[in-house]
Amino acid sequence: MKIIKVVTDQGDSYTFATEKRDNKDLMKAEGAEFEVEYLGAGWREGEHLVKVNGEVHTVSIINGHLVIDNETLFKVDRVIEESLGEKVSFEELFKGKEGEIVSPLQGRIVQIRVKEGDAVNKGQPLLSIEAMKSETVISAPKGGVVKKVLIKPGQGVKKGDLLLIIE
Amino acid sequence: MPPFGKVLVANRGEIAIRVMKAVKEMGMKAVAVYSEADKNSLHVKYADEAYYIGPSPAIQSYLNIESIISVAEKAHVDAVHPGYGFLSERADFAEAVEKAGVVFIGPSPHAMNSIKSKLDGKRLAKASGVPISPGSDGPVENLDEAIKIADRIGYPIMVKAAYGGGGTGITKVDSQEQLIEVWERNKRLAYQAFGKADLYIEKAAVNPRHIEFQLIGDKYGNYVVAWERECTIQRRNQKLIEEAPSPVVKMEERERMFEPIMKFGQLIRYHTLGTFETVFSDVSREFYFLELNKRLQVEHPITETIFRIDLVKLQIRLAADEHLPFTQEELNKRVRGHAIEYRINSEDPMSDFSGSSGTITYYEEPSGPGVRVDSGITLGSYVPPFYDSLIAKLIVYGEDRISALQSGQRALSDFKIGGVKTTIELYKWITREEDFVNAKFTTAYISQKSKEFLEYLKRKEMTKAVIASVMYSKGYVKKSGNGKKETVSNNKNKWKTYGIMSQSSYRVLW
Repeated sequence: MKIIKVVTDQGDSYTFATEKRDNKDLMKAEGAEFEVEYLGAGWREGEHLVKVNGEVHTVSIINGHLVIDNETLFKVDRVIEESLGEKVSFEELFKGKEGEIVSPLQGRIVQIRVKEGDAVNKGQPLLSIEAMKSETVISAPKGGVVKKVLIKPGQGVKKGDLLLIIE
Repeated sequence: MPPFGKVLVANRGEIAIRVMKAVKEMGMKAVAVYSEADKNSLHVKYADEAYYIGPSPAIQSYLNIESIISVAEKAHVDAVHPGYGFLSERADFAEAVEKAGVVFIGPSPHAMNSIKSKLDGKRLAKASGVPISPGSDGPVENLDEAIKIADRIGYPIMVKAAYGGGGTGITKVDSQEQLIEVWERNKRLAYQAFGKADLYIEKAAVNPRHIEFQLIGDKYGNYVVAWERECTIQRRNQKLIEEAPSPVVKMEERERMFEPIMKFGQLIRYHTLGTFETVFSDVSREFYFLELNKRLQVEHPITETIFRIDLVKLQIRLAADEHLPFTQEELNKRVRGHAIEYRINSEDPMSDFSGSSGTITYYEEPSGPGVRVDSGITLGSYVPPFYDSLIAKLIVYGEDRISALQSGQRALSDFKIGGVKTTIELYKWITREEDFVNAKFTTAYISQKSKEFLEYLKRKEMTKAVIASVMYSKGYVKKSGNGKKETVSNNKNKWKTYGIMSQSSYRVLW
């Protein structure tokens, strides 16, 4: 059994536990299961067929983008894989390590409402980021103490930048 | 003979290009302005001339009146088109343009000033016979008076900032306790945001739809109303999908509105395009006046489509003192079919519609029968985080609403944008949703359906990630970056968590 984490160019990530069964892959994610089979070449040049939960999808690869069913796009930035062992549980891997708050979007920091050493509760607003005419408030995904604030008001941040750490 | 020689377009993105297309077709030269972030933008390449006006933040560039006026003088333009947003509804800008001896393509400063606050608009609407929702006649003095008025008209009510805009400073109140709670806070917010603390009260419509009428006037007192647009599909008071005509308004209901709207135009001597925003109740079948938008609207193409007129060209001709080319009767005869506009925004519906900026790494635009795309981007364009998230508009047309929806489904599937998140996936889902197809919706539609949609989207994204991992395992997807294979054990303590985006709030930054 393996753990696979797919990260897109937009910084989104998807984690699966996978298992080989005959020539099929069984992939388990948070709240969903997929039976996957690679069927081989498609009808057009450079096209592949992949069967997911009984449905056949066509996939073409154009400039690094996966064009799926000729209508949606998916771009992989990297794939991380590892055999499942040690003391890591599924749940832990699906959730990721809590506490490191990264920016969910690109924008400018307008306000930081906490400082290092502050105790915060789950859901408490930590800071706000301004992008495209709207202000987004980032709240704590868990309770704890603010260990480090890595940003300043007015600073520009990219998606995925580390903003602060809660312990 | 073209009405002007050279027109400056004081805007960016999709609308700048749309206006420049009309300018070029009329045989005139188009002048663009750009900020630091936009120096390589499509609108800059598309113009005949382009001038730098300042750093990326809008306040230092697209909102910098002095900078834009100096370009107008330097480039010797004859007219300025403000597009929408930015300076389009600013009387001081229109005044500055006129002072520089240049024609402002839009309402006169006098017309803009006469409806400066929402209350001015309400008073004029009442005077011209446009129905207004019951409420206070002017700013409400104090909380005691507010309670009295609320008791008279009945809850729920809306507490609104007289000088607000874009959905800011509006609170729905369901009870007296809540009114007491929000009163002082809203006063403070209104003062902070608009410099004036005036609040007024209106009865809240139950299950409202948002419907707007297109007013067109010339300098000789002639007016027509190019029917209405249904703009009910919104999130956070920002429109997402618009239709013309409305699928629920009957002919006699729309005609009932024409006279009073024209009267309103006459009262303020309005001689260009304007939009009457109203709420419409499915229950009482009444329209209630909200405000007059003093500009070309984002959703103007759907009106253009069903009437087969070019509103931007018409707006330019009216600014050049030409007469309205048709009467209301002639206009009514032009109507054909049904048009729908989908606003393609670079934002992530899965993260509460937060803005998504970046470089466009994949771009395929739909085309074909019944499809029009007004876009501000192309392959390789950069979408900066400083401005509005609208990057393109998809407009579809059909003989009736169902065939327009079918064109829309096909075109949305053909529209492929990579590099930023967009609202395309949301629209693909909505256009197959039963209530939307049956036109059964209110302004709460998106928030009511968001759970269902997010589940669908999550499943779809997961499926795509599954396919990606299969393609990776077969070696068809190359590793990017340094090509190093990262392992979970090296990273398991470094997996980061996105903060919860719980309270995204809409705010006008200009």
